[in-house]
Amino acid sequence: MTTGAKYTRQDFQTDQEVRWCPGCGDYTILASVQNFMAEMGVDKEKIVFVSGIGCASRFPYYMNTYGVHAIHGRAPAIASGIAVARPELSVWVVAGDGDAMSIGGNHLIHALRRNINLKILVFNNQIYGLTKGQYSPTSELGKRTKSSPSGSIDFPFNPVSLALGAEATFVARTIDMDRAHTTEILNRAYEHKGSAFVEIYQNCNVFNDKAFIALTGKEERDLNRIPLVHGEKVVFGPDRDRGVIIEGGTARIVSVADVGIDAIHVHDATAASAGPAYALSRLSHGPFGPTPIGVFRSVDRPVYEETLQQQIHDAQAKKGGGDLAALIASAGTWTVA
Amino acid sequence: MREFIDGNTAIVRAALDAGCTFFAGYPITPASSILMAMMRQLPRVGGVAIQGEDEIASIGMCIGATLAGARAMTATSGPGISLYSENIGLAIMGEVPLVIVDVQRLGPSTGGATTVSQGDVQFVRWGTAGGFPIIALAPSTVPEAYHLTVRAFELAERFRCPVFVLTDKELGTTLTTVDSEALVAEPVAARVTGAAGTPYRYQPAAAVAPLHEFGRGTTVRFTGSTHDEAGFITKTLPTVDALNRHLIDKIEANRVEIELVDADLQPGAKTLVVGYGITGGAVRAAVAAARGAGEPISGLVVQSLWPVPESALAVALDGVERVIVPELNPGLYRREIERIAGNRTVIGVERLDGELLSPQQIREAAA
Ligand code: SF4
Repeated sequence: MTTGAKYTRQDFQTDQEVRWCPGCGDYTILASVQNFMAEMGVDKEKIVFVSGIGCASRFPYYMNTYGVHAIHGRAPAIASGIAVARPELSVWVVAGDGDAMSIGGNHLIHALRRNINLKILVFNNQIYGLTKGQYSPTSELGKRTKSSPSGSIDFPFNPVSLALGAEATFVARTIDMDRAHTTEILNRAYEHKGSAFVEIYQNCNVFNDKAFIALTGKEERDLNRIPLVHGEKVVFGPDRDRGVIIEGGTARIVSVADVGIDAIHVHDATAASAGPAYALSRLSHGPFGPTPIGVFRSVDRPVYEETLQQQIHDAQAKKGGGDLAALIASAGTWTVA
Repeated sequence: MREFIDGNTAIVRAALDAGCTFFAGYPITPASSILMAMMRQLPRVGGVAIQGEDEIASIGMCIGATLAGARAMTATSGPGISLYSENIGLAIMGEVPLVIVDVQRLGPSTGGATTVSQGDVQFVRWGTAGGFPIIALAPSTVPEAYHLTVRAFELAERFRCPVFVLTDKELGTTLTTVDSEALVAEPVAARVTGAAGTPYRYQPAAAVAPLHEFGRGTTVRFTGSTHDEAGFITKTLPTVDALNRHLIDKIEANRVEIELVDADLQPGAKTLVVGYGITGGAVRAAVAAARGAGEPISGLVVQSLWPVPESALAVALDGVERVIVPELNPGLYRREIERIAGNRTVIGVERLDGELLSPQQIREAAA
C-alpha cells in the first residue's frame, strides 16, 4: 500500500448528507472505504465507483471520486464498459445482495468469469432494505418478511460459493463492523489483478437486525469466526482448539485434539483448484454458526483488458493502423467492376 | 468503383468513419453481422468490441465506455430493444451519447427472425419509461444507411443522447450494388468535453453541456435518478422540473436541425405518398410510375422519423388532399401523419406477412 500524506479521509467525502438509517452498517463500510482510499494514495480522479439500486447504491454520492448511480443490477456491466475502455482507471462496484445476486446475477457472474479488473463490493444484509423489508436471494430459508409471510421457500445463495463457481480469481468475505479486517481485504482486492469479489456482511438494523450476530456479538464472535490465513492451518475458537479438515472435497469442523493438528487443513488461497476454497465456503449458510472470514481465493489469470489490448495491438500491427479503406475491403465486401 | 454491400456493412463502415471506438452487442438475427464485423474491424483501428452476456449488458457497457471517453454504438433487433429499454432510459437521463441500431424483424416476440418489418417505429419512440423524446433516423437505401449512421453519431454528440438508426432485415442483409463514392463522409468532429464545473446544465433548456469524461478533470457523477447540475440526486422541485424540461427541450426546440427528408414534390399534385425506411424504395418507384402514367403525385421519404419532421411535412402537405402511408406494420407511423394532416384523407397501405410492399400496391391505394 502506498502511504498517504497525499490524502485524508476528508478528501474522499462529498458535501452530500449521508442518508442511511442511523445505525446502518453502511456508515462503517463507507468510513472504511474512504480511509482505505486515502491510504491507497491513488489519484481520486483515477477512481470510479459504480452502483445499481438499493441502499448500498447511494455510495457514489458520498465518494469524492468519479461515480455512476445506474440502474438496478447493471452496475457490473456498466463498470465493465468503463474498465475496458480505460484500463488505467480503478473501477469499483458497490451492490447489495439483491442488486448483485438477484436482478444483477447474470452480469455479476460474467464480469467475474471474464476477470475484468473490477473490485466488486457486495454489501450482504440478507434483506431488501430500500424497498422496506422483502426477502432477498441471501435470506435464509423460512425467513418471514413482508413478501414472504409464510416464510421464504427460496434456497439462498452463498455469495462466496457463487463467486467461486463463477470462476472468480479473487473471493473474500469480511464484516462491516470489523474495520481493520475490512481494510485489509480492500487492500488485497485492490492489489489483485483482475476482478475481485468481496462479500461484506452488513447489518441492516431496521429490517434485518442482528443477522450476523453470530459473527459480531461479543459472546459469539470468537466462537464462530474462522479466520482464513494463507499458508496457515484453519483453526478457530477462543482457545484455537477447533479446526477444519477437508475430506473427499468436503470441509468439516473438528476438535483439533480429536484429529491431531497435522490433519487440519492448511489454507492455500492460491491453489490451482477452487475446490478447497469452495469446500470452505460450504461450512456456513447463513451465517448462524462457524463461518470462514478472509480471502478464500486469490489466483492469477489473464486480465480481460490486458488480453484485449494485446489483441488490438496485434490486429493493428498485422494490418497497419491507418488504412481503413483497405481493412474494410478485406473484410467481407466485394467490389463489382 | 462499385461495390456489392449490404446495409449492415454500410453501418459498420459508417461507424468506423465516424470515429466509433467502442461496440458491444449480443448475437441476434438480423443484426449479428454488425456485431461480427465490429469484432473484427474495431481492433484494427484501436477500438474495443465486446460480445456481452446479453443485450442489457451490451448497452450498459456502451454507456460505461462512453462515460469513460469512448464513442459507442450497439446493434440489435426488436427483441433486443426490449432488453435495452432501461438502459435507454439511463442514457436519456444521464445524457450519454450513444448510437443504437435496430435492424427490425417481424414481431411480436420472436416473431419472424428472418423476416422484414417496420414494427418498431413507435417502440423506439416510446420504448422506455417516462415518454421523453428521442431521435431516430431511418435509412431507405444502403448509401442512406451509411450517411444516416454518420449523422446519428453527430446528433448523439450534439445532443448528448441516444440516437436510433432504424433499419430492417431486408435493408440490413441484402447485398446491393453501390458506387463507392456514395460511401464517403466528412469526419465527425471530436467531442467537446468539460473538465471542470458541473457535468449538466439545464439553462437555457435547449442548450447542451459538454460531456465530462471519467478520469479527465475534476470528479463528477452520472445518475439515472433525478439530479442537480452537479449530478447529485435531488427531489428539489424546481431542479427536477428544470432537468426534465431540459431533456425535452434540447431535442424539441432543435427539431428543425434534426429534420431530414427526401421530398419529391410535384406542384399541383393532390396526392402525397409518405414512406420511410425500406418502404421508401416502393414509394419512389410508385411516384415515378404514376407520373409516367400522367398522374400528378408527390412523394416524401422521411429519414428523421423522430422527432417527426413536421415542418417538412407541412410543406409537403400544402395543397394536398390525400395522403397515402405505406408501412410494414399495422399503420404505426400513419397516426403521426393523421395528427398533422388536418382534414385530409389519410390512407394506410399495410403489409404484415413479412413481404415487402410493391409499388403497385401503393398505386392501387392511390387510384
Ligand atoms: S434500510 Fe437497512 S440497509 Fe437500508 S439504510 Fe436502513 S439500515 Fe441501512
